[in-house]
Amino acid sequence: MPGKGGIIREFNRNKVLFLMVAPTLLFFLIFSYIPMVGVYYAFTKFDFDGGLFGSEFIGLKNFEFLYKSGILWNLTKNTVLYNLAFIILGNIMQVICAIFLAQLSSKFFKKTAQSLMFLPYFLSWVLVGAFVFNLFSDFGVINTLLKQLGLQPYDFYLQTTPWKYIIVFFNIWKGIGYGTVIYLAAIMSISDEYYEAAKIDGANIFQQIRRITLPLLMPTFILLILFSLGGIMKGQFDLFYQIIGNNGMLYDVTDIIDTYVFRSLTVNFDIGMGTAAGLYQSFFGFVIIMLVNYIIKKTREEYALF
Amino acid sequence: MRKRTKRLTLVLMMSLLISLVAGCGGGNNNGAAENKGTNTNETKVANEGEAGKETLKKVKLTWYLVGDAHKDQDKIIAEWNKMLEKDLNTTIDVKFTTWNDWMTKYNLLLTSGEKIDMIFASNWADFYKLSKQGAFLDLKELLPVNAPVTWGNVPKQDWDSVTVGDGIFAVPNTNSEYTPDGYVYREDWLKEFGLPEFTDLASIEAYFDAVKTKKNVTPINGAAYENVNRLFRFWNDFQMISGEIIGATSYENPRDIQIVPFTDEYEAWVKKMKEWEEKGYWNKNSLSSKQEAGDFIKTGQGAIYWRNPSSAGGFINEIQAKGLKMDVGYFPFTRFHNYVIPTLPIANGMAIPKSSQNPERSLMVLDKLRNDPAYFNLMTYGIEGTHWAKGEDDKTIVIPAPGVDLNVTPRYDIASWGWRYEGNMKKEKGGWEGLDALKEEFKPISKQDIFGPIYLDYEPVKTELAAVNQVFEQYGKPLMLGLTPDVDASLKTYREKLKAAGVEKLLAYVQEESGKYFDEKGIQ
Repeated sequence: MPGKGGIIREFNRNKVLFLMVAPTLLFFLIFSYIPMVGVYYAFTKFDFDGGLFGSEFIGLKNFEFLYKSGILWNLTKNTVLYNLAFIILGNIMQVICAIFLAQLSSKFFKKTAQSLMFLPYFLSWVLVGAFVFNLFSDFGVINTLLKQLGLQPYDFYLQTTPWKYIIVFFNIWKGIGYGTVIYLAAIMSISDEYYEAAKIDGANIFQQIRRITLPLLMPTFILLILFSLGGIMKGQFDLFYQIIGNNGMLYDVTDIIDTYVFRSLTVNFDIGMGTAAGLYQSFFGFVIIMLVNYIIKKTREEYALF
Repeated sequence: MRKRTKRLTLVLMMSLLISLVAGCGGGNNNGAAENKGTNTNETKVANEGEAGKETLKKVKLTWYLVGDAHKDQDKIIAEWNKMLEKDLNTTIDVKFTTWNDWMTKYNLLLTSGEKIDMIFASNWADFYKLSKQGAFLDLKELLPVNAPVTWGNVPKQDWDSVTVGDGIFAVPNTNSEYTPDGYVYREDWLKEFGLPEFTDLASIEAYFDAVKTKKNVTPINGAAYENVNRLFRFWNDFQMISGEIIGATSYENPRDIQIVPFTDEYEAWVKKMKEWEEKGYWNKNSLSSKQEAGDFIKTGQGAIYWRNPSSAGGFINEIQAKGLKMDVGYFPFTRFHNYVIPTLPIANGMAIPKSSQNPERSLMVLDKLRNDPAYFNLMTYGIEGTHWAKGEDDKTIVIPAPGVDLNVTPRYDIASWGWRYEGNMKKEKGGWEGLDALKEEFKPISKQDIFGPIYLDYEPVKTELAAVNQVFEQYGKPLMLGLTPDVDASLKTYREKLKAAGVEKLLAYVQEESGKYFDEKGIQ
């Protein structure tokens, strides 16, 4: 371990490299660290004359509204569980699709399939929200179909159960093309020699996937999951807002921190309370990523992020 | 060795500093260039000034309005800027919040300190709260100098109503209106069913029933909540003071302030709404629907839409102009209790945010806009000959202008309410006649607004307010529409959750503040 003098020596030896990294450091300093001062808003009673530091300091009072209604636990649970489902199921689906695509030999079909999978990524959630509404509403596709078949229509917008699956499905559907491309690139970078050797040894295609592709995808998989975990406390606001909207009937299973904060603040706009909620999210997101990284470092050091 | 590293650190620091300074320097240079630009302009104007014109520095202002811009907005603003440049050496960039999430955007504009020289202000856009927080500039000193005409023609009590503390924080509009809620309905269907005009809840229910059973149309199609909620308030004569939760039980008993969901009237109402929901007067997905009930009336798939008289007029005019084969009527809820409350002067107004760099000029423009008919007509009604045409006299206009198709050039209806001045307002020819009849109906039964000016900033109870609002969104709204399977159980849950959220503390606060106001005004 280099001591205090060591850092200086290191610096001395690589001054050109340090000079090269300076713009990046500067970028983060200006755009990420200096604005962080704004978290101070979370502890003040905002007024227009005082601005950031002139406003009165009120301690943790801004955080009160988060736990006052007693649903902070439910919100956090929803946010984290949805994100876990998005991340884990999403990545698994993406890996599966990438492997299928990699095995396809018809170039035309491969390209078409890939483009079609990528398309939803470019749709805005507003449009997806409209799709969902037209599928599940009283006069939507599904209920019309049920009625035509002589079955009882199902009141999707009054029942909480289906929404967990609907939301997870649409999120995965929307993100699958993008993730698949990343995994496909990882698969393409696996040297053909492995597969040729396996073929000579008589391995069939499933054995090749299991013994070569999957293990070699593992680092990418873990890396992507780790990256996503940092944002596990950040809900996908537009997804939930566009699909659920103001339907209080469904909040028990579909309300996440972001939508809750949005609703609180559109009614009683308060910059302090908004910042407080953001700080709560960021702080726990930070704790989670440190924890996960720590565990991974203890078990498989080479996969850790930092 | 040490020395060298020190020097290196110094070099690095310097390079960082230099790049920083260089970054800022760029801005400075630009600023200087701009200054130069204005200077030359100034001399130019000064030269013109010698020719007898007023010397005004050229400035560019930013104005913000709520709502959406019109399709031809750019043309109209360009036209306006031509006039402004000539008269006041000013150009204005007019921006719109759009109606989508306008409240959030509006608040963000003010909190972020964006440079804005004039913005729409209203009691329903938190004018009183924002003024107290210091969002707006005090105009007391500026008004007599920079907006002398307006200063003179706005009545004193209107200025009083925008005085918060000892400052005047907005210019209220001068166009007193009545904006009670009511229902737009299918007059032709009502006649077809042989039903009487609406008078009470039973007659409305009879109409709903006939629409549902005979026409097989969902009466309140699309988003239903407000349609039901407004009826609830007016039918029971609740005067809401704090959002949807706390209000006085009637106009006659302003001091009897209660938590509305805790009242017997509310309980009876939600039970009735459960019946209505079961009969299919609205859809089960009505809370998630983003479509307005009125849009369904136009396509023949709906039968009810809540509006205030003037927007009902707009709705009916649109139906006529589009030549839709239907006859639409309007029923104001004021007929339940036979009184109406006029809007506060600051229901619509214009204010100058603290961030403004040219408040004086901005006020001069507003003065011109309110009082010069050429300015007023352009910004309020659009371009003559395109969006409107002169009627038989100066006070009447024709919309659309002859030869203009409303489907190509829609009505010009931006949120111009903030600068309206009665003396310049025009009547639309062939417009819905009901509007004038309603004005006549309202005049004798008008009662002073004693609830609107109650000033609440919720500072001591903002935690409770945020929590209570959440509970309302989650439990109150579905209950109002009878969407929960068991009304008794969900009403119990709703009340419990409200209590847990601190609704009683909120009530105490509202009662105290209202009491203060009533004492001050001598209202019992």
